[in-house]
Amino acid sequence: MSTRRGMNVPFWLIAGWLAIVGSSPVFGGGERGGNQLPKKPPKLTVDPKAKPLTIAFISYANPQHVAKDSAAISKYLEPYVGVPVKGFVTTDYGSSVETMRSGQTDLAFVDPLAFLMAHEQIGAKPLVLEVYSTGKPTYYSCIWVQKDSGIKKPADLKGKSIAFADQVDMSGHLMPRDIFVRLGLLPADKLEGAFFKQVYFAGGDEQAIRAVTNGFVDAAGISQFAYLLLRPQERDGVTVIAKSIDSPAHLIMARKGLSEKICKRIQQAFMALDPSNPHDQELLGKLYGVQGYVEAKMSDFAEVAKIAGRYGFIRKPEAFAVKEKP
Amino acid sequence: MMRSYLVFHRLATGLAKCRASSFGVRTWVLAAVLTSTAPAFAHIIPPEKLHPVAESYRRAGFLLNLNPVLWEQVAPDVSAIANYWMALDSKAAGDLLANANRIIAEATRGPDQQAAVEPMPRAEAAERIFVLLTEAVSQIGQRQLRAAERNLEQREDALALMREARGIFGAFDDVLRATDRDAFRRLGWSWLEMSSALGSRGLLGKGVAPVEHERFVAAAREIATYMQANFGVGFLPVKGRKLAPWPARSKTFDASARPPIKLPPGHNINKQLPRPRQILNMATRGVDEGETTLIALGDMAFDSSFIFGEPAQSLGISCNSCHNKSITNPNFIIPGLSSRPGGMDVSNSFFAPHANNGHFDALDTPDLRGIRFTAPYGRNGRFESLTEFVRNVIVNEFNGPEPDPVLLDGLIAYMFEFDFLPNQHLNRDGALNGQAPQAALRGEEIFLRPFEQMGGMSCATCHVPSANFLDHKRHDLGTVPGAEDRSRDGALDTPTLLGIKHTPPYFHDGSQPTLRAVTEWFNDNYKLRLSEQELSDLTAYVDTVGDGVDAFEDTQFTLEAEMEEFSFFMSAYEFLVERNKPELMAMTFQTIAFEIRAHKWDLQDWTHMPVLERMAELMDQAYGAVRAGDRGRVGELVSEYRQTYEKYKDVLN
Repeated sequence: MSTRRGMNVPFWLIAGWLAIVGSSPVFGGGERGGNQLPKKPPKLTVDPKAKPLTIAFISYANPQHVAKDSAAISKYLEPYVGVPVKGFVTTDYGSSVETMRSGQTDLAFVDPLAFLMAHEQIGAKPLVLEVYSTGKPTYYSCIWVQKDSGIKKPADLKGKSIAFADQVDMSGHLMPRDIFVRLGLLPADKLEGAFFKQVYFAGGDEQAIRAVTNGFVDAAGISQFAYLLLRPQERDGVTVIAKSIDSPAHLIMARKGLSEKICKRIQQAFMALDPSNPHDQELLGKLYGVQGYVEAKMSDFAEVAKIAGRYGFIRKPEAFAVKEKP
Repeated sequence: MMRSYLVFHRLATGLAKCRASSFGVRTWVLAAVLTSTAPAFAHIIPPEKLHPVAESYRRAGFLLNLNPVLWEQVAPDVSAIANYWMALDSKAAGDLLANANRIIAEATRGPDQQAAVEPMPRAEAAERIFVLLTEAVSQIGQRQLRAAERNLEQREDALALMREARGIFGAFDDVLRATDRDAFRRLGWSWLEMSSALGSRGLLGKGVAPVEHERFVAAAREIATYMQANFGVGFLPVKGRKLAPWPARSKTFDASARPPIKLPPGHNINKQLPRPRQILNMATRGVDEGETTLIALGDMAFDSSFIFGEPAQSLGISCNSCHNKSITNPNFIIPGLSSRPGGMDVSNSFFAPHANNGHFDALDTPDLRGIRFTAPYGRNGRFESLTEFVRNVIVNEFNGPEPDPVLLDGLIAYMFEFDFLPNQHLNRDGALNGQAPQAALRGEEIFLRPFEQMGGMSCATCHVPSANFLDHKRHDLGTVPGAEDRSRDGALDTPTLLGIKHTPPYFHDGSQPTLRAVTEWFNDNYKLRLSEQELSDLTAYVDTVGDGVDAFEDTQFTLEAEMEEFSFFMSAYEFLVERNKPELMAMTFQTIAFEIRAHKWDLQDWTHMPVLERMAELMDQAYGAVRAGDRGRVGELVSEYRQTYEKYKDVLN
């Protein structure tokens, strides 16, 4: 394992740390496209009378704040698409997809599950994936337990309790659940009474990981980043015993029929955002604090599509296993 | 579900830096650009997330246990709980407010000798208010649970109401977790049952799970029953113990258990960022820090909560908490003990009940720069000796054990190194030089001008420019309210003006927010009849005298400097071995382990986290070994710690 300054960390240091390392946002996965950012597309004159491009932003807690941020993003995008850009805020992915279905939305910020369903139902296209502070356009889920619980591996959870975040949540349910299915510990079609003594849906990542720290459940199946929701002094109390496959990051998707030319320009405009440039950094701060964007491909979603298909969220997961042109 | 922590992690890890360094002072340059949001550095502990009702209840509970009770701080929390309740049950909320206000009025009225009416005793009033609030919170929580039950047909409404109820129940969490673990776990399951029973609205028609009414109601009723039984109408505090929501009627209540020591919501003991620039005289002179053993020991003690007793120790409070790198920490505030940020009543009933003076006299935290020149010590100059002052802080203000003489010597040696900031506008004699702003130069004339209204004295009579702007005397300017009419209890030590630009607010109690307010206070109280221009000039003078070169470090990244400082702490180890001071060795190891853990999340590249973990672990082991009397093992562990630090110090930043 190489470090930023090329120093090797000896095994004795790593040994007791593997669990957290496995869950740390700074590990795992490969970067795409190296460090070379594409150039921003040439600017166009904005035609104020043209039909606006509409973007659905998502807010989890503070829609007013997101609305304010979205205005800056819309303004940034306008000269690259040559038409006015209007953003609006929704509080759930379902609404974003429904507005796209009804033709009111051209672009939407969504999670992989919402995209998979939107693609299957209304032909939405993936444009760009978010890049996190890990430097990667991916994330994964973990099985978290109390560090001193004695639970070392998923099989140790037989007859014990687990909390997931929400039933319809890729990182907070389907991906971590799939860890047990892949290990043959849990049938794909049955969650309750099959392997675990008790399964809860806690209502969110924080509630789930706090259910672990409070000793209400033996494990939580949630995002790799969940421990950041704990206060610093609480984080040492939890550890990871397993992690899921990588999922592509949250993304911006476009409605079916949006012109290829516009899609290309939008991709370029987002992918060219440079975190080392102060202005771009400010914009990225308004874009949910991501580090940048990379191009999204359908094949990125092939593996998570299988998971979504396994639990009935999409009918044809094989549709995502396409070979794209380089 | 991912967004909420992305911003945090980006700020915690996504910033690069380069550096130029000299001893003791790190000059950092942020190569990456910060967003407009202040970075959430991990040693800055965020406030606990609490529902407003739980927050008010917990804070009020803390305040009501103090002596004296600051009723003016209790009243807003009573109002906050009543206001929340008002929307649900206006009559009950109105009764709460009326009853609480009546009790507060009875507790705060002066004795009426003619009517032979005494104020309600503090403890009685505090208990009665606490009972009212506990019953109210319990009823509010139960009401929201019932509302959730009634709204199960509208899942989203029921979910919101359940979350409200859970947040309100948070008022009791800490005490339940400690004193009724069975119930805490059982009720924890109930909350999870309710959340799970609400099913899912699905996404685009998939994954819909219906609400399980019976499951939800059964769990909600269990919680409501517990709340009613233990905290509902008729709640009684446990006699002889502090006011807290003891679930004394629960069969599984463990009366011997103690809840964790916590500060009330609204407190802030985080140090300021950027850090003040600390100037240690010996370091500026280029002295090898490894040879200043006593200073190293003092530096460790200054940063260590282990020199104090409980509760300061459990709360991680050290000298450095209030005097961050020797400079006033303007963030420090504890409701009930502080009147404003940057100060505290140090003779209080919370930190050292034995030394409580029984009245609220919060002080503004003084800047310790140049402290070897500023005797006497204490705002009222009650200690001629810094050693006596520091001992009193440890033993009587923070309930610590009698300090080892070597430790005390170390603290004094360290504090005597604190230098004033250099000031490019001052000559050695304290006069402004020609580089000073014109307004300040005009203000200097006013500062030196004798005023009849001040008995022929000038500002400079007390703030003597050639003597670091102080006269080592105590004067009564009338800023301290007397205990009675014509009391002679208001004399205060003359403070230096050096560095004060960076340590607002002003006066012993922090009652003046700005230097301009200070000059206006003197103008008004001594009827100096200064013009607007003169006031501005005088303020400019004080501002210039009170300034200094590079008052703050120009980085927000502090881990590398902290790690270097811990290495400095460790340089006292051989001296402690030689003097046979196992207690001080143990304290050093404990302090380093604690500090590494407090700062480790600041690490910019978390791949090196195992190194920090290992170093903290080595200190834990060294602590264990010294306690076991295994000196050989202690030496090995110290050696390994030092080697590890030397090997990895370039990446621990």
